[in-house]
Amino acid sequence: MLSLAALMPRELLAAAYADTKPSGALTGHQAAVVEAATARLVPGPTDDPAEAGHPGAREAKVTNYISAMLGALDPSPPRVFAGGPFSNRAGSKRNDMARFIKLDDVERIGWKMRLDDLKQQYATGIATLDHAAGGDFTTAAPAEQDTILASDPGGFMSLLMQHTIEGMYSNPEYGANAGLVGWTDISFPGDSQPRGYTAVQVSRSDGPDPLELNAVVQGALALIVSTAPPES
Amino acid sequence: MAAKRVVVVGSGAGGSMAAMVLADAGFDVTIFEKGRNYFGDLTEATPATQYSNDELKSDRYFTEPDPIIEPRTYRRVGDTEPRVTGVVQAMPQTVGGATVHWDAKTPRFWDIDFKKLSMLGPIPGADVADWPFAYRDIAPLYDEVEQLIGVSGDINQIAPGTLAHAPRTKALPMPPGPSQLSSLKAVAGCAALGLHAFPVPMAINSRSYDGRPACNNCGFCSNYGCPIHARVGALAPLRVALQRGARLRERAWVTRVVHANGRATGVEWLDARGVKHTEPADLVVLGALAIETVRLALMSQLPDPSAQIGRRIMFHWFSFATAIFHSERLHAYRGRSTTHVCDDFADPDFAGARQAAAAAGLPYFRGGTLELGGSSGPLTEAMSYLQVLPAASPGKPFGTAFKQLMRSSILRDRLMGIQMIGEDLPYPTNTVDLDPTVKDYRGLPVARITYSPGAYELAAQTFYLPKLRAIARASGAETTTAIAGVASDQYPIAASDRPDTAHVLGGMSMGTDPATSVTDGDGRMHSLPNVVVADGSGFPTAGAHNPTLTIMATALRNARAWARESG
Repeated sequence: MLSLAALMPRELLAAAYADTKPSGALTGHQAAVVEAATARLVPGPTDDPAEAGHPGAREAKVTNYISAMLGALDPSPPRVFAGGPFSNRAGSKRNDMARFIKLDDVERIGWKMRLDDLKQQYATGIATLDHAAGGDFTTAAPAEQDTILASDPGGFMSLLMQHTIEGMYSNPEYGANAGLVGWTDISFPGDSQPRGYTAVQVSRSDGPDPLELNAVVQGALALIVSTAPPES
Repeated sequence: MAAKRVVVVGSGAGGSMAAMVLADAGFDVTIFEKGRNYFGDLTEATPATQYSNDELKSDRYFTEPDPIIEPRTYRRVGDTEPRVTGVVQAMPQTVGGATVHWDAKTPRFWDIDFKKLSMLGPIPGADVADWPFAYRDIAPLYDEVEQLIGVSGDINQIAPGTLAHAPRTKALPMPPGPSQLSSLKAVAGCAALGLHAFPVPMAINSRSYDGRPACNNCGFCSNYGCPIHARVGALAPLRVALQRGARLRERAWVTRVVHANGRATGVEWLDARGVKHTEPADLVVLGALAIETVRLALMSQLPDPSAQIGRRIMFHWFSFATAIFHSERLHAYRGRSTTHVCDDFADPDFAGARQAAAAAGLPYFRGGTLELGGSSGPLTEAMSYLQVLPAASPGKPFGTAFKQLMRSSILRDRLMGIQMIGEDLPYPTNTVDLDPTVKDYRGLPVARITYSPGAYELAAQTFYLPKLRAIARASGAETTTAIAGVASDQYPIAASDRPDTAHVLGGMSMGTDPATSVTDGDGRMHSLPNVVVADGSGFPTAGAHNPTLTIMATALRNARAWARESG
């Protein structure tokens, strides 16, 4: 990693840090690091050939989610709790979820503490990733980015993974899951009100759908049963 | 003469039921709810609502207290320091209480729950007790509550063993709703093993009822507020209370019951900005859910000559089985969260149970009711994979390996869960008190939970875990496992490192003897008779079934006694 920094032109490093144009709660460079890192954690077709046809964090716009979350208290009403009862995805003309719920004083106290802490963790975590990459995480090779993330420096990979998951698979009003690509990739239809499901859809099988027993799935299943008691 | 003033602390199952009875009897009732009101006009059958199909909103403590500013602490019996400071047995603090996100299972407790000491006998180390009333006394109140909140089910399909312990004469107001595919798989597994599964009575509309629509099977059920009011719970009695003139104050946190010379005179409360107010009262009803009710009692220094307040907290001792289907998906994201149960393991005379108890040095034990079927949402699923990825994808616990697991959906769309709501005995060593150091955002001491299962719970768990797995296997799943719900010294590997069962009972138990109970047989504090208990903290024993219907029926019974004698 040190060698990479040595190879990097000083001007480029300076440019990386000088770019402080804010993108929501993140500076331009911070957003670029988050984009690069989350694309390794949940890759799409351009990030990993194994994901051809399967959108990832980049396509779902997870960086948007993280930026919106860190800056959730800036807009009015704050972007903490999406409204209800319905979106316009399942039979309602109006999207109630697009209108966020006004926070009261008590909720605001908790969320200010949470977000102040998270902003600090992001500033530190992004700097740590940059440092580990010799100055700019975004210019490191994907394999090197993977190695850095796998070391979970300061727990920042774990934090990013949690927020990447939240962005990928939450309702799109929170800023990601763009075009519902996160839900589509896992065959999850998302919110279903006010249409709901029929009794037949609830009770009847949709038909055979064999599980692909690849190495990762087999490993996970083996781990899941490893602590099981015997049957009796 | 002016109507007597009643303060009800908490707008959930017990508090709302008490408010309904007392407002109907002409009392001047004010309900104080610590949390927010996410509804519109609550005198309507279907008020405007902010609840929605939104997993992230739920994970962001939309209804539960934010643990950053209102944590609890948890330690096991024998620990000196807490193991956890944060989320411990979190329950909604909002208008409607925990019934805004319950999955609305409404089984009745059994005859042996109300007369456990007389009918089953003592257990060493536990304070096994009889309730002040019997099943036959509360049965008509169960009927009333089932009509009020709208319960669906079919008494002709309820297992004979269940009916023997909880006899019924009246049909339920509505037939069962559609059976969930994952529940049907578990039902088949039970049948193959000679066990008796049946559609569980639940307070979810299967047709329009009392001005509210039928459930449309949206799938966001347990842990979510119902977006269409097909499931209301406490909102039904709350609606009647408000129609009868009760007032509701939201974000009004009662921090002290003011008392002197053996009588309460009112309460002190904080508004959303932390400004202190007082409210006079002739009767104070505690319904803040067991842990917060105990916390309020202790913060108020209510007279407690026998040191009984906060003793014998009970959570139910859960065990889980997981069935993973390789051949098909089960789409548990559609429908009510689970639609069937099996009560066989709640019977102390289940085949082999007496012998296993004897081998463990116990006169008997019980498991509990089994909730059959159900799964989780994708956020929960994804976080679960993070636990297995370090082993399943060594060196790179993310990337395409993670996405392959998400697409396989072994822990969501292919998963069928079974959970046993294990009976949890009243132990004097399982307690809630005020944490000596940890404070909340207003500087008030938080609740400290000291809790461990006893030999009874662990022996039952050891006996039933393999049987839970056997049901999963018999249901047709290729991969099965079973696991303890909460970690213990005996089962360190568990689904959770802390109590998180959302069943919270005891701590202010009813009884006849002031030396061993906090309230009398009608929920009045022995030491302060105009302070009464309306929530599950009054339960002398926990039963082996979901408790909310019994909380509401008990509150209905006791509130009528308060109305008679305070009026």
